[in-house]
Amino acid sequence: MNQKKLNFIVVDDSKLDCFIAEKIIRNTGMSDGVLSFTDATAALSHIEQVPTTGPSKTIVIVDIQMPLMNGFEFVEAFQKFPQTIQDQYIIYVLSSSINESDLTRVRNYPSVKHFLNKPLTSNTLSTLLEWV
Amino acid sequence: MSKTDKIKILYIDDEINNLHGFKATFRLDYNVFVAIDTNEAKAHLDKHPDMRIIFCDQRMPEKTGVQFFEEIRADHPYPIRMLLTGYADIESVIDAINRGHVFRYIKKPWTDVDIKTAIEEGNKFYLANSMLAIKNEELQKAYSELDKFAYSVTHDMRGPLLSILGAVDVARNMDDLNEVREILELMDKSVKKLDNFIRSIHDYYNLKRGELHITEIDFKDVTRDQEDIYMIAAKMNNIRFTTSVEQSEMFRCDEASMKIILNNLLSNAFKYQRKNIEEKFVDFSVEVSKGRATILVKDNGIGIHENHIAEIFNMFFRATSEEVGSGFGLYNVKDALLKLNGEITVDSKIDNGTTFKVVIPSK
Repeated sequence: MNQKKLNFIVVDDSKLDCFIAEKIIRNTGMSDGVLSFTDATAALSHIEQVPTTGPSKTIVIVDIQMPLMNGFEFVEAFQKFPQTIQDQYIIYVLSSSINESDLTRVRNYPSVKHFLNKPLTSNTLSTLLEWV
Repeated sequence: MSKTDKIKILYIDDEINNLHGFKATFRLDYNVFVAIDTNEAKAHLDKHPDMRIIFCDQRMPEKTGVQFFEEIRADHPYPIRMLLTGYADIESVIDAINRGHVFRYIKKPWTDVDIKTAIEEGNKFYLANSMLAIKNEELQKAYSELDKFAYSVTHDMRGPLLSILGAVDVARNMDDLNEVREILELMDKSVKKLDNFIRSIHDYYNLKRGELHITEIDFKDVTRDQEDIYMIAAKMNNIRFTTSVEQSEMFRCDEASMKIILNNLLSNAFKYQRKNIEEKFVDFSVEVSKGRATILVKDNGIGIHENHIAEIFNMFFRATSEEVGSGFGLYNVKDALLKLNGEITVDSKIDNGTTFKVVIPSK
């Protein structure tokens, strides 16, 4: 397993889901910091404006169904960022959706590494971190 | 039967005597319109889209009846077309059926019975046809709502459940009681959100399927009920809640629909408050006069962005991630108002507040 500490960004309109994700991420002992956003637009402007620190990539976990800007719109906007910014992040989509067309749509985004089912568990997270 | 309830019938003939005779014979039973040429006939049709039956003479100087029917079919597909002719050659019969899509072919000189039977038969056909069109449209709408519904239910119902499931998993490994309390608080919100969603579905279904039960509404009672519900929330969150009722005449309405409207508007007003301001308020007022109730729900909360105002009444639309909304409330409000022939207008400014104005006529 990669021993570098990682930064995380969680984007979910549900405060409870943000809280759960933060807890699970911290419990892995592999995180350097977790930022959560209930509004995808705020997360986007953070990614655009605040440069990442350290050599490792930042992991972004984003929900699909959110008001104002949903996960799809988030990913589409992210893919318009300069490649230098995009290269610093790894995006995972986390959703309660069991809708086939949602899953297909997620698979078609080149910047999305993987689709994860809610709820996020420490098992899923550890597996996911082994791939990084 | 008043004149407006009668079946509307149009008769086109270039012989004025025929028109007079027709009108004299049938004007008591039907609402008869006559036209001496096709231009006049088209003017009648444009003015009366609910024209049920058209009788047209086949041989007219400018064009034939079949040509006329063929022309109007695109713009006026619903009226039942019948052709009157004294020259029954087989060619024109075939033409009438193939090109003019006529329902009946009546030989001149007609008898009263011929015409009456034709009208009654044509009317039955018209009713069945238009009913089918209406039902089809309703069905189409129901299907597209069901699609949206099924999609959103997976998120709006599974979402909170999965959140709780995740929270349980995390809480298992917690030793700090304060942390456990914090997560319980969040789980509580998730459960309420799910409950709120299920209640909204219940409202939605009642509105769709429910009959209206019109009773006399005393807005003083209605307002007191709402006060009972929201006073606690107002106290807890330090929100000034004022109500006023001016009702000097009787008002009749469906109470259940009325409650859905008031409940949703008030719960939104309390929910979407700005957290960091001192003087939070919700004003509720009702004025009944001249057979109409005007209801105002005013708050100085977070407001709605102007880009979203057009969408707030759409099913599952949410204009903010600030609070737990189902995206169902205002949709139900609009649905209820549709049943009551009421209207709603919104005046909102972001970070300033929102006022909803509802006008409902007494039944």
